Amino acid sequence: MRPLTEEETRVMFEKIAKYIGENLQLLVDRPDGTYCFRLHNDRVYYVSEMMLKLAANISGDKLVSLGTCFGKFTKTHKFRLHVTALDYLAPYAKYKVWVKPGAEQSFLYGNHVLKSGLGRITENTSQYQGVVVYSMADIPLGFGVAAKSTQDCRKVDPMAIVVFHQADIGEYVRHEETLT
Amino acid sequence: MQGNREMKRLFVGGLGQGISETDLQNQFGRFGEVSDVEIITRKDDQGNSQKVFAYVNIQITEADLKKCMSILNKTKWKGGTLQIQLAKESFLHRLAQEREDAKAKKEKSTTGNPTLLEKMGAVDFHMKAVPGTEVPGHKNWVVSKFGRVLPVLHLKNQQKHKIMKYDPSKYCHNIKKIPENLTETTPIAELTWELEGGNDPMSKKRRGEFSDFHIPPQKVKKVQKSNDPMESKVSNIGLRTNQVMEKNKSTHPVTAHGTAPSTVNPSKQLLVSSSGTQKPKHVVFHNSDFEIIWNKSSMSDDDVDSEDELKMMIAKEENREKPGHSSVNESEHDTFEVVRDDFKSNIHKLSSSVSLGNNHEYDSSDTDEIIAMKTKNAKVKNSAESSQPERTVSKKSSFQKIEPSNDCIKVQGINSNKESALCHGVKFVNPKFPPDSSGSDSEESEEDEEYKVLMENCPRVSLTLADLEQLAGSHRKFPGKDSETNGPQNDSHCKFDTTSKNPKTSGDLYNGRQQCILPEEIVASLLEDENTYSKQKSEEDILKPKFQAFKGIGCLYAKESVDKTLKENIAFNTGGGHHSSLKHEDHNRSLMENGSKCVNGSSSKLTSCQPAKKVNDPNHIQPPKRQCTFENQNHKVMSSTSCDKGSTNPLPGPLPLKAKTSLHLSANSHKVDSDGDACHWPESRKALEKERTNLSNLESLEKSSKVSPREDPQKSPAGFSLSDSNASCINAKDKQAEDNQKRLAALAAWQKAREVQKKLVHSALANLDGHPEDKKTHIVFASDNESETEETSTQEQSCPEKELMKESVSKSPGKLFDSSDDEDSDSKEDSTRFSIKPQFEGRAGQKLMDLQSQFGSDERFRMDSRFLESDSEDEKKELNEDKVNEDELAAEKKKTLNVVQSVLNINVNNPTNKGSVAAKKFKDIVHYDPTKHDHAIYERKQEDKEKESKATRKKKKEEAEKLPEVSQDMYYNIAADLKEIFQSMSNTDEKEEDVPRTEAGAREGTGKIRNAETLACEPEQTTGFTFSFFDSATKDEKDATYRIELVKHGKIVCPNDPRFQDSSSEEEDIAEEADHSKPSPGEAVPENEAIRFFFFSENDDRLRGSNLFWSGMGGSISRNSWEARTSSLLLECRKKHKEAKRKVKAN
Repeated sequence: MRPLTEEETRVMFEKIAKYIGENLQLLVDRPDGTYCFRLHNDRVYYVSEMMLKLAANISGDKLVSLGTCFGKFTKTHKFRLHVTALDYLAPYAKYKVWVKPGAEQSFLYGNHVLKSGLGRITENTSQYQGVVVYSMADIPLGFGVAAKSTQDCRKVDPMAIVVFHQADIGEYVRHEETLT
Repeated sequence: MQGNREMKRLFVGGLGQGISETDLQNQFGRFGEVSDVEIITRKDDQGNSQKVFAYVNIQITEADLKKCMSILNKTKWKGGTLQIQLAKESFLHRLAQEREDAKAKKEKSTTGNPTLLEKMGAVDFHMKAVPGTEVPGHKNWVVSKFGRVLPVLHLKNQQKHKIMKYDPSKYCHNIKKIPENLTETTPIAELTWELEGGNDPMSKKRRGEFSDFHIPPQKVKKVQKSNDPMESKVSNIGLRTNQVMEKNKSTHPVTAHGTAPSTVNPSKQLLVSSSGTQKPKHVVFHNSDFEIIWNKSSMSDDDVDSEDELKMMIAKEENREKPGHSSVNESEHDTFEVVRDDFKSNIHKLSSSVSLGNNHEYDSSDTDEIIAMKTKNAKVKNSAESSQPERTVSKKSSFQKIEPSNDCIKVQGINSNKESALCHGVKFVNPKFPPDSSGSDSEESEEDEEYKVLMENCPRVSLTLADLEQLAGSHRKFPGKDSETNGPQNDSHCKFDTTSKNPKTSGDLYNGRQQCILPEEIVASLLEDENTYSKQKSEEDILKPKFQAFKGIGCLYAKESVDKTLKENIAFNTGGGHHSSLKHEDHNRSLMENGSKCVNGSSSKLTSCQPAKKVNDPNHIQPPKRQCTFENQNHKVMSSTSCDKGSTNPLPGPLPLKAKTSLHLSANSHKVDSDGDACHWPESRKALEKERTNLSNLESLEKSSKVSPREDPQKSPAGFSLSDSNASCINAKDKQAEDNQKRLAALAAWQKAREVQKKLVHSALANLDGHPEDKKTHIVFASDNESETEETSTQEQSCPEKELMKESVSKSPGKLFDSSDDEDSDSKEDSTRFSIKPQFEGRAGQKLMDLQSQFGSDERFRMDSRFLESDSEDEKKELNEDKVNEDELAAEKKKTLNVVQSVLNINVNNPTNKGSVAAKKFKDIVHYDPTKHDHAIYERKQEDKEKESKATRKKKKEEAEKLPEVSQDMYYNIAADLKEIFQSMSNTDEKEEDVPRTEAGAREGTGKIRNAETLACEPEQTTGFTFSFFDSATKDEKDATYRIELVKHGKIVCPNDPRFQDSSSEEEDIAEEADHSKPSPGEAVPENEAIRFFFFSENDDRLRGSNLFWSGMGGSISRNSWEARTSSLLLECRKKHKEAKRKVKAN
């Protein structure tokens, strides 16, 4: 468990900023307490100060996780967002995609969102913009990347992919063993 | 033209309502031959015709059709626009067409097929040629039978390895011609076939016949087996069982009869011989066993009343049983023939067969009794009664005849004997009949009639208690009318009077009719009466065996009457038997005392009936809940006792005493009976039971007292026996009594427990009352008088509860004052108590305190300053570490923020200032905290503005209006008080206060004063609530200024509200005008209504709009002004509009 290096922080923030933009600031500088990011087993955890203190008592090799896992660094030192970060990112999401009830399940099984399943999308979403996927009942379902801009989405045929799948809450079931 | 005519069906739509077929016919007749017109009207739900159209079948040419269409289509005709279209043909036509087509096709297929085949280039497989001729052009094809062309086959023989030639023309017979006509299909219903019915249950079930009730045949067998030893009995019981089954509505009495041993048959055959000569009329029923049932039921007059019903039942059951038991019926034939006689006799009542049948009934039912009673009869003979010898003779003969039995002649003889005996009984009962008539045959018819009357009366008797009582009343009032009204009663008396078994048995039967429940009681009573005539105690010994026989009968009766389980019945019967024996002893004794008077005179009975009734009365009072059967029993028992009394009446000596005793005895016995019965009744009767037991106990006491003083030698044994009987009675009673006592004890215990509980609750409550005072004292404990209170507490503990109460009460007032005395010291203590202890001071101390709080007030873990001292260093270290950590974190945060900055390419202005950041960032979600000063931004400041503006305006207005009455003194005086009071109070409270003020008559003045006050205060007032409060107050006081205020709300709202902005300027004016003109709507609303508001406080913001609306409505002047201004406004509006347009154009 160690603080992130500057490089790591940059990579991670770049990633997170794709989803929440300047709201990232709010994650770092929270009014209700001090929160920080910690790297442990290549995973980045978002921890409150209090919890950090408590976790300091546990040796590194025994510690499984602390706080909330935001994602992990791959071997190539890229940051991959985990679905566990959804609770923190969804409220600040700038670009959102709502999927139809029929396509909900498909998305939750790890599939991309097709245009036929696209219920609603934030306007002026650009291509490859990180989006948070919601159900039509406004329940956040996961992360995605817009495969098409909003304008393109209108023209594209119904079976075309609109949102690439990144992470979804189905992973809580599917990847139970790797999610920490 | 003519040739082209075709049948067309035209749709003619858009017709008027009043169109008729002839109209259409005429209209379309011009173009062709109208064959059929069909007018259809569509109607809606209410039955109003929506549209009318018609179908017209017309023989028309193409040209004419066209003409017709062009001329008539879309023309108006008779209130409608015609719309003519070619319609599809009527389905009937089409159907006919299809049929014709089918026919034509058939013909074609038969004739034209070959050509078609040829056309298609196929080979015609049908050739009309002699079978066997080869088909030309095709090798190995021959014409077979029916003209079909078939190939010649070369088959390899399995065994011989030889190829055989199979020429179909030679083996033509294996070809069958299937008729082509498939039209004659059998309907589906005929495709199913019925299973040929066997009589076994499976086949019956397959046929869907289910017999609805099956009594397991074994049971019946058992019963019969048990009854086998006595032949006559068997028949009797068989009949009884039948009756029982009928009661149960069982459909299988046949089985019982079928299984019944053959010994039954002879006895019945006797009857056959006797009856067969008389009435061969009812052969119709010969195969049914139900005749028996019918007869039995009619004989014993069971619940089933009308013969029609019975007939219905029988017919039904016959139908049901016929298929199943056809085979069995043959064997049972004889048995049912027996019954046939009875059946006839029932129908033809006046015929002698009736008596025969009835007598036979009695005979069969009573044979066992008779046998048991034989020995006794001899003694009975000796009795001095005139009629008895005859009876005994008859009985004797009957017994003699029965014992050999099985001969028809003998049976007949028995019957005749019994008849006579019955006649005797009847006559004996009825004093009008001469006693000599017993032996004569001439009066048989009369007797029969009499008997019929009795029979008819019996069901009536069985109806209700009320009837019985009526009868009893008639007994009393009209002793002369015995023959008719008192028939049944007489009958019962007859039972008692005569020792002959025939009347007895008849009585049994009657009883069976009269009371469906508990017939064994009656039997017991009968026995008692019998015993009354027997003078020797030895008879009792003989009687005991009798009882058992009776029990059996009783059991049967019970079966008949009550649909209870057998076991219950048995128990019942045994109980009944016991009681009866008890009674019977009593009676014997009493008779011995009385010197055994013959009780032949029914008149004497009648006289005796009155005391009996008297006795009955208390009994009758008891059981309003009791069933009539009980009362019937009572009646009977009483009657028997009355008989006894009748006998006692002539005795001059110890009459009153004896009568009493007898009465008591009877009552006792009755009670025992009833108790015994009541044992089996549900608990609802417990109360009754208790009453009875109590009565019986009392009576027994009385008896014992009365019996003891007797000195007569005769009486002494009687007394002894009485005591015995009492003892036995008491034994019976004891159980009841014990039970009752137990119950009572349990009740008492429960009540005690409850009382104890109550006491406990009381004491607890008292303690509760005391406790608060104690607590007060406890509070005082902390102070100096601790020792005193302790003492008092110890005293209290020692004292009983009441004293405790008193003490506490007495002490409490004193202590209250005491504590007041000690207040100073207490306050000091308190001040010290709430001061923070030194060890808990400071940050570390706080931690210690937290720790302490975790352990609570446990002494062992009390934290001292030692803990503090020891911890302090570590704490400091920790603090340092924390500080270091925090610093680190802060540094980290800075770093990260920098990164964020770089990532986002924005300037994060003041990361360390959390407050500002938060304020900025959480724009949408602000947690409003009214205590924070920052959050004042989020408060609505409308009110303040309003008030200020209002205040200013009010001032202006005030100046304009200037109320002269306001005196400054009052204003100053009251303002100080009222403001304090009313600001702290809610609106409702204020109003409550208002009322008395108005009562005091100072309303107007105060109102004005307050008005002034409000004026003065308003600048100071900041909160909306107080404002509204004063507003309401002014409202109450019908003040002019109030109205002004109210309207000003509107005024101020208007500029805020964008919707009203356009008209705000003139609205104000209107409102102001309204103020002057308004007839005070605030007044119109009573105070109470204002109080009732749940959701709105007065002058609620939400109501402002409506207020404004109503205020506007009120003023006519405002309307006028509005109307005056509308024109100018309109002009202005248009001007503005134009200007705007111009601007738009310019742009």
